[in-house]
Amino acid sequence: MKAIKAKSFFAGIHVKDMKYLACDCPCETMPAPDTAYISLCQSLGKPAVACVEKGQKVKEGEIIAKADGAISSDVFASIAGEVVEVKEINCACGPEPFVVIKNDGSGEKAYLPPLTDITAESIKERIRACGIVGLGGAGFPTAVKVAPKTPVDTLILNGAECEPYLTCDHRLMVEKTAEIAKGARYIAKALGVSKIVIGIEANKPDAIAAFEAFDDIQPVILKKQYPMGSEKHLIYVTTGRKVGIGKLPADSGVVVQNVATAYAVYEAVELGKPLIDRVLTVSGGAVAQPKNLLVKVGTPVADIVAYCGGEASAPKKAILGGPMTGVAIASYDAYTHKTTSGILLLSDKEAAAEEPTACLNCGKCADVCPMHLMPMNTAFYSAAGDFETAAKLGNTMACIECGACEYICPAKRPLIQAIRKTKAAVRATAKKGGK
Amino acid sequence: MDNSIVISTPPHVKSKRTTKGIMLDVIIALLPAAICGIIFFGVNAFVLEITAVLGAVATEFVYFFIEKGGFKNKCKNAAGVCKKWWKQFDFTSIVTGLILALIVPSGVKWYEILIGAVVAIALVKMVFGGTGRNLVNPAAMGRVFIFISFTSLTTYTAANFGAIESSTVTTGATYLSGALLKGNGDAMSLVDLLLGTGLAGCIGETCKIALIVGYIYLCVRKVIKWWQPLLYIVLSAFLSVCLAAIPEEGATASFDISLFPSFALSGGLMFGAIFMATDYVTSPKGVYGQIVYYVCLAILTSVLRYYTGIEVVSFVIVLMNLVVPLIDKYIIGKPFGYKREKKVKEVK
Repeated sequence: MKAIKAKSFFAGIHVKDMKYLACDCPCETMPAPDTAYISLCQSLGKPAVACVEKGQKVKEGEIIAKADGAISSDVFASIAGEVVEVKEINCACGPEPFVVIKNDGSGEKAYLPPLTDITAESIKERIRACGIVGLGGAGFPTAVKVAPKTPVDTLILNGAECEPYLTCDHRLMVEKTAEIAKGARYIAKALGVSKIVIGIEANKPDAIAAFEAFDDIQPVILKKQYPMGSEKHLIYVTTGRKVGIGKLPADSGVVVQNVATAYAVYEAVELGKPLIDRVLTVSGGAVAQPKNLLVKVGTPVADIVAYCGGEASAPKKAILGGPMTGVAIASYDAYTHKTTSGILLLSDKEAAAEEPTACLNCGKCADVCPMHLMPMNTAFYSAAGDFETAAKLGNTMACIECGACEYICPAKRPLIQAIRKTKAAVRATAKKGGK
Repeated sequence: MDNSIVISTPPHVKSKRTTKGIMLDVIIALLPAAICGIIFFGVNAFVLEITAVLGAVATEFVYFFIEKGGFKNKCKNAAGVCKKWWKQFDFTSIVTGLILALIVPSGVKWYEILIGAVVAIALVKMVFGGTGRNLVNPAAMGRVFIFISFTSLTTYTAANFGAIESSTVTTGATYLSGALLKGNGDAMSLVDLLLGTGLAGCIGETCKIALIVGYIYLCVRKVIKWWQPLLYIVLSAFLSVCLAAIPEEGATASFDISLFPSFALSGGLMFGAIFMATDYVTSPKGVYGQIVYYVCLAILTSVLRYYTGIEVVSFVIVLMNLVVPLIDKYIIGKPFGYKREKKVKEVK
């Protein structure tokens, strides 16, 4: 179908996208690591519960931890070998349970059989059984998303990739176009919808052209604007519907899936392969060779950096994910998750590390806020410890933490930090009140 | 990987814009007006500009020096304190000093403007906590202070190319307060109003071309939003035209839209709208609040101009600045997607 142009949403920012570093590098498959450190916190919900023991032999694709609760997901062995340890390791977001597997080099696989009886129910079951989560970053289990409680009429594929530097979705869309389309059709079938829309930012013309080849998928050219890939804004620009505060996209009759998730669904259905690897971008000014790599879940960051030729210069910041929402890590002793979309080593010039100065009340943060909030109020009142007023005057609870406010702030105030602090404090108070 | 690595919350890339850069932009935007002031009003204007800027910066420095941490300790480590001060110096006091010099007539004595600058920085800005914490615009307050303390602010020198010595001194009469407000004077030519030639007024306010250049620069650099000064100027001039249509006793007056440019271009309205009302610190943060703020400014300006006949823009700005915290508290935009939730509630 011919691509159509979408309107823009009000506000947002224009970030230098820096995608030229890696956007022409084809996806490479990185060799399996010697040791895989697989976190059991692979989705938004509770950590999965390990079902393997120390010393046990596992094959690639074998289940090693079972989901605990509705928005948790199963975790699988990404390499064949022996479980060396089941322990907690301190990560950037606090201690997480890990299963450590030592590669035995056999490469034995234990995938599920390809799905032959394709019905909505069987696809949903397969998505759950393969532990697929949203690969855009949040890690919301796809199985929950494809079983909405309200009727849905549109499936939107998110190929916006509005984060600077990241090019993994771009490469996937160009190289695996047919597979993504198939995966999207499976998701549409599970949802019972016929309309499939794919939103791609205008800076990826080759991906847009590739998706024009299908009759049943409508490519939409999105304006280059951050945060275009935010679920709520993608829905608004492609369908004109607004998702209410605290509501799910399904309440507006829409389900959004990342293109990488669609690819994972294709692999799960046709190859029976659980979610054990993903494409991620290694980029930034301090990386010797920026690359797009197909990496096993649980690969140590140090291995990936070494595979990309090491550091070109001393990095100022090392980030898991994109530069706008990713997590800064203190050392390379970190491991990829299902949701890790990139590893960035930012050089001195690129990374922001200025000392904050006094707030000018310039209101630029409110001007660029895609949710039309007042971040400066949140920062002001939370600094004084008045989180209730902070949340009220800043409408903080509706924040999507895209980072646009802090990006634009001329005083370099730590706004996202204040917002997270306020959110946590308000939630803690609500919990107390509930008891 | 060495120990110099930085950890922080996202975002990890930020825009290159800083407070200092924005203030530098404002200074650049003010330069045409400052230079035109020197051309029109001569050396005296230059002396006033320099005095005000130096006075403002010196006040900030002295305040920083004696503020906290013990005067004696700081005297011992004077070099370190100077370095620290320079590190945090963000050009805001230069802007304040320059604006203050541009909104006074050239007849003001150098010590008068020095006092004005000291008051503006020390009492209006630093006492409240420095940059970003002042309640009212320091420059506007400084002008108000000079106005109520000395008589020189009621005397305006007419601007003219070259002929500084022979320029006429008019007392208590800008073009605005004299004939125009009552709608019965002979209008000055538009060209004179735009260039400021032969127009009595303040140093930086007479040459409107210079102000428009500054306005365009600020808009291009996205320091201010283009509609803000425009809303203020257009609405205020339109209301003034309406007010001029109110007949006085025994006289006839009619609604005459041709007076519009004269109202828009006369007095300190344009300068105030572009450089003072748009001051970040003392204007509302949200867009809706800003609209309310500029509409209120326009109404107050036109009404007070009509009834008092004096140059009221800086008074009006000071007045509205005091209302800004209230505006910020009560006028808050609704988040994206809020309406939908409301509809659902109504159905229930």
